[in-house]
Amino acid sequence: MSSQVDHPAPTDARHPGGLKQPDLKTRQLRAHSVVAVWVGLALVAAGAQQTLPVARWLAVHLFLLGAATTAVMVWSEHFAVALLHARRPDERRSDARLAAVNLAVLGVLIGVWLDRPVLTGAGCVLLVAALAAHLVVLVRMGRGALGGRLARVVGFYRAAAAALIVGAVLGGLIATGHAGPRYYAGLRLAHIHVTLLGWIGLPVLGTLFMLWPTVLGVRMTERTTRVARWVLALTGGGLLTAVVALVAGRRWPAVAGVMAYAVGTVLMTTLLARTIRRRRPVSAAAAWMLGAAAGWLCAGVAADAGVLAVRPLTEAGEDFTLLVPVVIVGFVAQVLIGALTYLLPIVLTGGPRERAALRAVLELGWPARFVALNGGVALLALPLPDPVGTAGLLLAAGAGAAFLALLVRVLVRRGGGAGESPSSRRPVLLGTAGGTVLIVLAVLVANSGGGTDHPADASRAGGNGAAVTRTVDVTLAGMRIRPGRIDVTAGTELRLKVTNKDAQRHDLKVEGGPATPLLSPGQSRTLDLGPVTETRTAWCTLPGHRAAGMTMDIVVRNSTDDMAGMHDGPTAVTDDSNPDLSAGFSPGWKPRDAALAPALAGTVHRIELHAVRRTIEVAPGVRQQMWTFGGTAPGPVLHGRVGDVFEVTLVNDDPAMGHGIDFHAGSLSPDRAMRTIAPGQRLVYRFRAERAGAWLYHCSTAPMLQHMGNGMYGAVVIDPPGLPKVDHEYVLVSSELYLGTPGSAAQVAKMRQGAPDAWVFNGVAAQYAKAPLRAKAGQRARFWVVAAGPGDGIAFHIVGTVFDTVYEEGAYLVEPGRPGGSQVLGLALAQGGFVETTFPAAGHYSFIDHDMRHAEAGAMGMVEVSK
Amino acid sequence: MGGVGLWSLVRFLHVTGAVLWVGGQLALSLVVLPLARRMLSEDARDRFAAEAGRRFGLLTGALFLPLQLGTGWAMAWHKGVTWASLADPGYGRTLAAKLGLFVLVMLAAAGHGIAHTRGRAELARALAVASLVGSLGVVLLAAALPAT
Ligand SMILES: [Cu+2]
Repeated sequence: MSSQVDHPAPTDARHPGGLKQPDLKTRQLRAHSVVAVWVGLALVAAGAQQTLPVARWLAVHLFLLGAATTAVMVWSEHFAVALLHARRPDERRSDARLAAVNLAVLGVLIGVWLDRPVLTGAGCVLLVAALAAHLVVLVRMGRGALGGRLARVVGFYRAAAAALIVGAVLGGLIATGHAGPRYYAGLRLAHIHVTLLGWIGLPVLGTLFMLWPTVLGVRMTERTTRVARWVLALTGGGLLTAVVALVAGRRWPAVAGVMAYAVGTVLMTTLLARTIRRRRPVSAAAAWMLGAAAGWLCAGVAADAGVLAVRPLTEAGEDFTLLVPVVIVGFVAQVLIGALTYLLPIVLTGGPRERAALRAVLELGWPARFVALNGGVALLALPLPDPVGTAGLLLAAGAGAAFLALLVRVLVRRGGGAGESPSSRRPVLLGTAGGTVLIVLAVLVANSGGGTDHPADASRAGGNGAAVTRTVDVTLAGMRIRPGRIDVTAGTELRLKVTNKDAQRHDLKVEGGPATPLLSPGQSRTLDLGPVTETRTAWCTLPGHRAAGMTMDIVVRNSTDDMAGMHDGPTAVTDDSNPDLSAGFSPGWKPRDAALAPALAGTVHRIELHAVRRTIEVAPGVRQQMWTFGGTAPGPVLHGRVGDVFEVTLVNDDPAMGHGIDFHAGSLSPDRAMRTIAPGQRLVYRFRAERAGAWLYHCSTAPMLQHMGNGMYGAVVIDPPGLPKVDHEYVLVSSELYLGTPGSAAQVAKMRQGAPDAWVFNGVAAQYAKAPLRAKAGQRARFWVVAAGPGDGIAFHIVGTVFDTVYEEGAYLVEPGRPGGSQVLGLALAQGGFVETTFPAAGHYSFIDHDMRHAEAGAMGMVEVSK
Repeated sequence: MGGVGLWSLVRFLHVTGAVLWVGGQLALSLVVLPLARRMLSEDARDRFAAEAGRRFGLLTGALFLPLQLGTGWAMAWHKGVTWASLADPGYGRTLAAKLGLFVLVMLAAAGHGIAHTRGRAELARALAVASLVGSLGVVLLAAALPAT
């Protein structure tokens, strides 16, 4: 080793006041066991993303505030002694400071986890006190010490301690809710910067000046001292500028500060690169990991400056949340692993042979771990879809867990003492550690992605017999929370299953109640509100989202109101399943084409219709199983001329139920043609359409209310002779929509009471409001309408038009050239007809069922008329 | 709804197989082998351990593995689990994680046997413990899957 002078370990031995190796070893063992425990807990928290309330925060803080802080405390003191050639500080006081820091961290973590701001605040105060003591020790150590060539590096450690003091104060303000909404975003950014770049970044940068040459086994270059001074000035000064600017909400000074920090890291990396010589490093594993970590730091800081430069501070937080894992894993975790790989064998062993053996253990399979960690970070960093990010996280976590297992093995072997026979213990411990790592990884996989209702919820719902539990699916998308309002009876135990279906991140906070963490696209989380007794609101806490309309009302009705409603019958109909018609349809949804296809060629039409069940999007975002003819509800429109013969083969593909069919357009004996056929059977239904009109066909199997109510109906259009051509010809089958499991008691009760969830044209609520029919001004359009029911007829009206032609049930009621006009095509159940109109000018013409209850609940659409 | 049907029988076999397999491992490593270590002479103990391990391995390969795979496959088919649905968050991913962990546990168990025959006692022991701990994880994930 060519730079013995700067080597940390030998200085201990040489110093008269230094401690003997065994004591030092024991303390190092203890400290690193603490580090290992924090890292293990962080991995567990990362794995429990779905079940812990603040798992993400916990994972980050267990690792950074727990593990990294302990490591930085221990090593900065250790190196300060070595670099300054100073006396080792009092051992018991050192231990007390370390214990205080760990206690403080524990307080902060538990305080935030259990939402106890007082505990959190106390933890922060203790943390600040312990770090102030640490800072004082570092400053005092410099006085009267001999000072080595790299004494300057201790400046990094002092700056870092100051940074964590600032970070703890800022973090305390945020966590205890003292930040206030106005300063929240800025304070949070300042907190992230000062802790990541200051408390962790600065000591790492400083240590690398000395560690890098020793890991490579070369002499450090002459300019190191000078460069170190520059780097400290740039990074420390830059960080101070950035943090002050972020707290003050000033963007450009913050960018300048981060840029200065970036220049410092680049300067540092250049120096490191110059030090590389063509010879075998002492520890290739450590060299590669430290090098890669420095690279990730440079990349992270550069990206940071970029984000700050292009985004307003209030929005930048979101990008940071994405950047932080990359910095944590790529930089912090990797530096920790690399440094420990090199340093632990030095501090934990006496002789070179023992050291080599220990290093061999810690370097076990390092190329694979190195590739996995950095590949995983790269996958995390790239803007790829969810499964790839999860895979990246798993890769990196796997590499981290593997090192943790090696670390545990080393610590256990060192700490085991000589007395017991290690051969019986070690494999058991190793096996247990290995198995535990496997379980943590498997749980990580199982809990990744969307939420699951975890068993605890189910047992609570079942166990609490008195209260009514209701779970409502809540989606966040397009700056809306759906449903926008939830009505509950007082005392109902309400649970919200919140899913983010948007392309950007959102959360949901209930007034005076729980909140979800930020949910990435596709993620979901269940909020347990407990018994709800008063009306509350809920909203997305991201800046501006509430103002943009992301709010929801939870309205409590008195149970007495409900009792009154109960008298309607045992199965009182609840209104909460009503679809939200203002919502958007799912991606990929297509409206049913309303245009009437030309009449079939020839005079005999052979059609095969399959009775099948299909799940269909029947209202915006609402999918429901329907019983159909031909896979659609309504079934296909049959279009022909007077005298045509239709030969319809009905095939029952429904595995569980009999069906039949009844065409109103033909007259024949029902006995055979309309019989019910069993699953798998076929039936040929032949009729001649001897008269013109818009006819209904429907399922002929009892109970017909259910078969029709679930979608088994359609239209037959037989043109009257001499029907003139028009520019547009549409068919609209009007019907009712009953949500719920087809045939279930609740759904059938709604049918019996005539209380549908929506009224629809061509089977889907509000579909032509979303996808309007199109025409040009002055064009003539014909609308065929059939009222399929099963309970209500229709008063068909087009806003802004007058019908000059009305054909109803086989006769012209109004015809062009006569003075009379018509406003509504009124059809009783199972009646049909058509109306014609000419659109006078460009505009938006709504067509509706003029029964406004029906129109407002889905029986409406739009004709968009252009010039 | 209620009653004991074909599928409750299949699930019974699946759960019983798991109970016997994991329980067998536990009994072997917590009761039988420690006792053997204490009560038998060194030579007899080694032979006993090898013989017990071989027999349990045989039982695993011939009975437990086919039983778990068969009943598990049948239940997945009955529930309409598809390859694609294994990637879905929630039930699918939990099942996928359970299957993955099960495969790893089996690999560890197989590795145990191989290491044992090659005389690498420490490695064999570590793999045996890892397999046992891992199978508890399989049970944990199985418990997280909602019963139907
Ligand atoms: Cu039917």
